[in-house]
Amino acid sequence: MSVRTAVVLAAGEGNRLRPLTYNRPKPMLPAANRPILGYVFDALIDAGIERITVVIGYKRDRVQEHFGPTYRDTPLDYVVQDKQLGSGHALLAARSSVDEPFLLVNGDRVFDSGLVADVVAEFDAYPDAPAALGVLEHRDVRRYGAVALHEGRIDEIVEKPESDDFRLINAGVYAFRTGIFDAIEATERRDGELQLPDTLARLIDEGEDVRGVRVDGLSPHATYPWDLLTVTQEILARGRVDEPAREQGVWVDDTSLVHESATLQAPVVVGPDCEVGPGAVVGPDVALGRNVTVEANATVTRSVLDGDTRVGPGSTVLDCVAGQDVTLGPGTLVPGGQTDVRIGTHVHEDRSLGAVVADRADADGGVTLEPGTLVGPGARLHVGVRARGEIPAGAEVLD
Amino acid sequence: MCGIVGCVGRPDETLDVLMHGLSKLEYRGYDSAGVALANSAVEIEKHEGELANLERAVESDAPAGPVGIGHTRWSTHGPPSDRNSHPHADCEGEVAVIHNGIIENFQEVKDELTAAGHEFTSDTDTEVVPHLIESALADGASNEEAFRAAIERIEGSYAIAAVFAGGDSVFCTRQDSPLVLGIDDDATYLASDVPAFREFTDRVVYLEDGEFARIDADGWNVSTADGESVEKTIHTVNWDAEETGKSGYDHFMLKEIHEQPRALRQCLRGRVDELGGQVELEELAGVRPSSVQFVACGTSYHAALYGAELFREAGIPAQAFLASEYVTSPPPIGDALVVGVTQSGETADTLSALREARQRGARTLALTNVVGSTVARECDHTLYIRAGPEIGVAASKTFASQLAALNLFAFAATDDHDREAIGALRDLPSTVQEVIDDSTAESVAEAYHDADAYFFIGRGLNYPVALEGALKLKEITYRHAEGFAAGELKHGPLALVTDNSPVIAITTGDGELARKTVNNVKEVEARDAPVIAVTDGQSDIERYADHVLTIPETQPRTAAVLANVQLQLLAYHTADQLGRSIDKPRNLAKSVTVE
Repeated sequence: MSVRTAVVLAAGEGNRLRPLTYNRPKPMLPAANRPILGYVFDALIDAGIERITVVIGYKRDRVQEHFGPTYRDTPLDYVVQDKQLGSGHALLAARSSVDEPFLLVNGDRVFDSGLVADVVAEFDAYPDAPAALGVLEHRDVRRYGAVALHEGRIDEIVEKPESDDFRLINAGVYAFRTGIFDAIEATERRDGELQLPDTLARLIDEGEDVRGVRVDGLSPHATYPWDLLTVTQEILARGRVDEPAREQGVWVDDTSLVHESATLQAPVVVGPDCEVGPGAVVGPDVALGRNVTVEANATVTRSVLDGDTRVGPGSTVLDCVAGQDVTLGPGTLVPGGQTDVRIGTHVHEDRSLGAVVADRADADGGVTLEPGTLVGPGARLHVGVRARGEIPAGAEVLD
Repeated sequence: MCGIVGCVGRPDETLDVLMHGLSKLEYRGYDSAGVALANSAVEIEKHEGELANLERAVESDAPAGPVGIGHTRWSTHGPPSDRNSHPHADCEGEVAVIHNGIIENFQEVKDELTAAGHEFTSDTDTEVVPHLIESALADGASNEEAFRAAIERIEGSYAIAAVFAGGDSVFCTRQDSPLVLGIDDDATYLASDVPAFREFTDRVVYLEDGEFARIDADGWNVSTADGESVEKTIHTVNWDAEETGKSGYDHFMLKEIHEQPRALRQCLRGRVDELGGQVELEELAGVRPSSVQFVACGTSYHAALYGAELFREAGIPAQAFLASEYVTSPPPIGDALVVGVTQSGETADTLSALREARQRGARTLALTNVVGSTVARECDHTLYIRAGPEIGVAASKTFASQLAALNLFAFAATDDHDREAIGALRDLPSTVQEVIDDSTAESVAEAYHDADAYFFIGRGLNYPVALEGALKLKEITYRHAEGFAAGELKHGPLALVTDNSPVIAITTGDGELARKTVNNVKEVEARDAPVIAVTDGQSDIERYADHVLTIPETQPRTAAVLANVQLQLLAYHTADQLGRSIDKPRNLAKSVTVE
């Protein structure tokens, strides 16, 4: 592949994924039992990328600490975007570390390495084109950046179009020549932000040949907390898991202890250092992060439990996303099922969501979380509490 | 401590490889650096100051040659200067030598050589070696014979390497100083520590005391002092070269503070079964001491104090000793297990104390971070703390990992099955992460970075934490800081307390220890000293504190680890405010391989 360098945008918080993003940026949220960003790096390296610049900002320590200076022997160069003022602004932060044509991808969405190769092939075929981007068909273009493609050339690019004329959206995977940096700087800010689609629209207006190529191999976008369950299901279905397989669809890290009387139902992945106690039933569609504990006779189904989380004995946990270091005490009940979930002012109807429990929240024991409950980071639910709706960060709920 | 490197087999890149190696070893010493490359002559370039000075010098005048050696120095003999920098040469400039350690009989040898007409140009002990080699060469010895003859004359601790004009080999040997070979298909490296060549190869050979190695383009050969060939095992190191990179942090120390959750996970991995209520350490199977003596220096000594307390709590007599004192006035050992705590595994004082104990018939155990280190090879048992390489001179993550490993050791050796305490240990990585995420130490540092002095107090397991907090602060801020057992404050140190000397009080739990420490805090508050409380919020210390650094509620033994993280961050941010050279504080080196 001619392009050797990639820039990955990983500076954003992901407001709509609150309260899970309280301590880390969105790319560090778990898809199955690894951060989304890890899959992004994998796809880039599998496609032949040799050098990755990571734009970090919000809670950047978490990215730096997790990945360190290299990933799979590929050097990671970190650049800091102090304020998050749009994708163009983020890319400008990487200017000093990029001196050749490069790929640009978002760090918060899982994709296949083949997608990268497709975009680069188009880019290589048109040496005069300043940019090439992946596009895909979508039935609801109104929520995305829409493009009009004519014989491989992008005629128009519009954010969240109001008309029904479009059927392709921008997949967020770009190949650029270094001239893009000047083009971004020459772009007018909109609401104080510098957005890449604005720069591309400007290049198109100037008659430049911005290439588009139809791609597939993009996982569902994690926009809301319950999307992490869907993304995880897909990753498990495709077996994109590092842990060794004990049997078909059952992956368990060698350092974990699973009691002989516990049952793991495929697909399920158990990360390093976990303990699963006697009589526990874990799976299907469950991902346990590192150092998770599922105690005796607990049942966990269709859930993502991130690192250091603890499920007490006799608990039942369905359709649940738990952040890091969550404690669900003995006999916790998360019955799961479909419900309406309110995020900010918007109500999302009929979502399959048991509960979202953010980092370091504690449920003492005998707690019930009604479907769609969002528990804020560090909240504490005392014995026997029956919770619904949104529990704010750090709240103490007595009854 | 100094760092040495060498390279054979990459004739076009010798200088680059040496410079790279030196940059990776800079943490070992940094008041001067130099290289010597051998071709038909020996070319030496050396400079006082940081490695950058040498880099600038070789930019304009790059020595070249198929074999080379390099050195970064931390002074023990003679002030830092160009002429005291290594490599050192003989009178004719035909031999260049680098040396890490101390030559104890150098004065006697030097007098003798001076009398024989040799001219010395430096104040160092090392310079006797090239002159000894020169005189052996003059007597008709081969390069290798001359090298061996010179080594035979010297006493002390050393890792030494030499190159010769017109020679295509590097010769090296060690005695009480670390030296490893790096083995690649076409090239061979030598260094004091693996990071120097880890980028090029992961295969290493550890030399033993008294062994000689000859490295040339055809490969390498290790032999005894008598010249008998030694069959060596090639080890594979499993950590990443770039683990020693800064990955975007301002300082290695900050990176290493942030790495503690990961380091702790590695330390605990596969050793803790919480639901089964047990800690199993295969490497210590059957070790059930009836009493324990810890020996250590510096930060490791503070870990040792903590470890001794853990054993005493389990009803097993245990004491911690400063290694240097243990050697000079050893206590009765009886049937005690003697445990050496040393991050590097090369700390000379600790090695001596362990040797002393062994000589008296004691069984010994090493608690160390470095696989294949001298301490690991010399002790009967070894427990690795698995913290990964630490570059910052001031220990941070390795202290946390030492405490975690001491917990593992105590659980396993005393058959302690306390599920709650084992659970707290297993939770340690996440609770440390919580402290890092939520710490307000930076704002406290902002308020007090200009204080006259800092006093740290604590009781029980928090006493070693107070000592370590003070040591960290003095190491990297150069400010006066002392740690005291809280009860000792009123027996003297209280006289030092003023309104510009913050007292940092570590109080966890709400038991008697906490109540007593709160009383000590009232004593200093009455003298207008600002009080910074490190607490889990269970006692009422917050009422008497000007600032509070909070840690999550946990068991007492894990609380000490969490409190220490707050103190690390306090020291780091204070030093940062003061603009100190945090990763390389003045006058200090990472591990001290001289007594």
